[in-house]
Amino acid sequence: MRRPTVALALVAAGAVALAGLLATPRPAGSQAVDVFLNVMAGGAKKLNIVIPEFTLVAGRDTQGLPKRIPDVAGADLTFSALFSVVSGAPPLPADDPQTLKQMLTESAASGAHAALHGLLTLKRDRAEAEMRLYDLTSPEQRLIATKRFDLPAADGRRLAHKIADEVVYQFTGEPGIADTKIAYVSGNPQAKELFAMDYDGAGRARLTGNDSINLSPVWSPDARSLAFTSYMRGYPYLYRLFAFERRPIQLLAGFLGINIAPAWSPDGRQVALTLSKDGNPEIYLLDVATGAVRRLTRHPAIDTEPTWSPTGREIAFISDRTGTAQIFVMDAEGANVRQLTTSGFNTQPRWSPKGDAIAYTSRQGGHDIWAINPDGSNPRRLTAGPGSNESASWAPNGRHLAFQSNRLGSWQLFSMLADGSEQQPLTRGGGEFTSPAWSPRLP
Amino acid sequence: MLHRRWQLLPILPVLVLALFLVGCPKRPATTSAAAPAPGAPAPGTPGAGPSVAGPGAPGAPGAPGAPGAATTPGTPGAAPSPREFTAIAALTDIHFDFDKYDIRPGDAKVLDENAKWMKSNPTYLILIEGHCDERGTNEYNLALGERRAKSTMNYLVSQGVRANRITLISYGEERPQCTEKTEACWDKNRRAHFLVKAG
Repeated sequence: MRRPTVALALVAAGAVALAGLLATPRPAGSQAVDVFLNVMAGGAKKLNIVIPEFTLVAGRDTQGLPKRIPDVAGADLTFSALFSVVSGAPPLPADDPQTLKQMLTESAASGAHAALHGLLTLKRDRAEAEMRLYDLTSPEQRLIATKRFDLPAADGRRLAHKIADEVVYQFTGEPGIADTKIAYVSGNPQAKELFAMDYDGAGRARLTGNDSINLSPVWSPDARSLAFTSYMRGYPYLYRLFAFERRPIQLLAGFLGINIAPAWSPDGRQVALTLSKDGNPEIYLLDVATGAVRRLTRHPAIDTEPTWSPTGREIAFISDRTGTAQIFVMDAEGANVRQLTTSGFNTQPRWSPKGDAIAYTSRQGGHDIWAINPDGSNPRRLTAGPGSNESASWAPNGRHLAFQSNRLGSWQLFSMLADGSEQQPLTRGGGEFTSPAWSPRLP
Repeated sequence: MLHRRWQLLPILPVLVLALFLVGCPKRPATTSAAAPAPGAPAPGTPGAGPSVAGPGAPGAPGAPGAPGAATTPGTPGAAPSPREFTAIAALTDIHFDFDKYDIRPGDAKVLDENAKWMKSNPTYLILIEGHCDERGTNEYNLALGERRAKSTMNYLVSQGVRANRITLISYGEERPQCTEKTEACWDKNRRAHFLVKAG
């Protein structure tokens, strides 16, 4: 399928100007996009987008999908921090260009920059949505993108997430992150199990049920599986589970001692992890296909918590070789070790998927999340209490982070933008939630 | 891709555990510094054998080459399950300073007494648990707990306890003895705890 790709130039300072409409057809699946503005921070001017109820073109609706899908997509676009959703537009009848034209004109007059409308066809157990995106700043409110999605009707929320991600793609050149999962740990000291939910907290599902301690979930780059540490066999071994397939849990590493702190290489072929099999917590590379391990660090201090740069060329990690836990970076072969942080107690480094920052947890009384440039410059605080804020996990866009906080009493999951703005809860009670792991975009 | 139905499938933990219990080798304890146990994985041990080949699973572990190797890395270690060990009144916990894993002078005396018991009961296997308070972060505390158990073992070995009787396990901050947020409680949690198993 070929579809038009329209990139809108967003001029950040002050008013949003939509200019330079490109209407170059591009093969579907092409990743060569024109990014005009990489909005990494909060506070930027947002696009006002109007999203009327979707129009049911054919079939019988029993789930309220014409309203639910735009509601969920609107929440996704609000969460993106790129859009401000304008509500209250009346439903549009099918095949009524006049009414549509009137709605677009009125929305433009009241300050909307874009409009998202959908045509919904329900057939048996499937829902097909054709999304239409309009640029209301152009003189004739032109249609700038249209795309069809076809999912089981029961996956209405996912349909909405895909539409929202397409809208973000049309305006930024990179898809949104609404069609993602967040894995996490929940339970009590006797049994901590792994769960996953949609990024927005919907659809919680249990992933393990072994009645032991399960920790440190991390998604493989293909978003199909998770590596994690579990005491299911008594000792802390490293396992892999397939979140969406009927496949048994696989043992990745069961050496004597600890088998912990997994981090997938960007190509998914290796897992960096911490083993103590040679007498001391050191970082190793595990070849996932063969099970072979190769040692990277050799130091009598603790070396742990590896995290890969998105290029796969470097690994950041934690060591207490200078007395307290600090962040270091080395080449993926283990050479050229250099220290990034020098004071305090710093753990849980997580390299941004964009490569430009390493988030970490710093203890100064309580814990807070910081970020630092990979060259050691510009350490900056992202959270400032209350309570402890720990265990950051980057969304695949490198703009959002999930983290755990006990600011409201119990441990809950929160999200924020990469500059610490827009902090908001992802879970609200109903147990304790820790160690969020944001998935890559789902296939 | 869009047509694919995605479901989060509950795994079959009971089956996994049952397979493991059947296949778990019972061997003398070895030290944490030992290499992974030689010997092929027990048939049916999840993860060690060939995986169920899922469609389109490039690079999946359990790919050709892994099964059958005499010393498959990642094979479960040879230590008995921690569940086979029990606490004993004769062995006293020791405690650690915050973020430290060296043995305090006062605790060395406690370890001397523990070592005496271990040497006069030479058939017992020993499990040393390393624990942390909640003030670190989870993954770091797993490493710290490992170091505490290791320091404890090293001291006992220096007092004449045979290293191959000792197994280590770190629980990090996952098994606190005390859950209040006070210095006294945190001090209780930063501990090495001893369990034994009749050999």
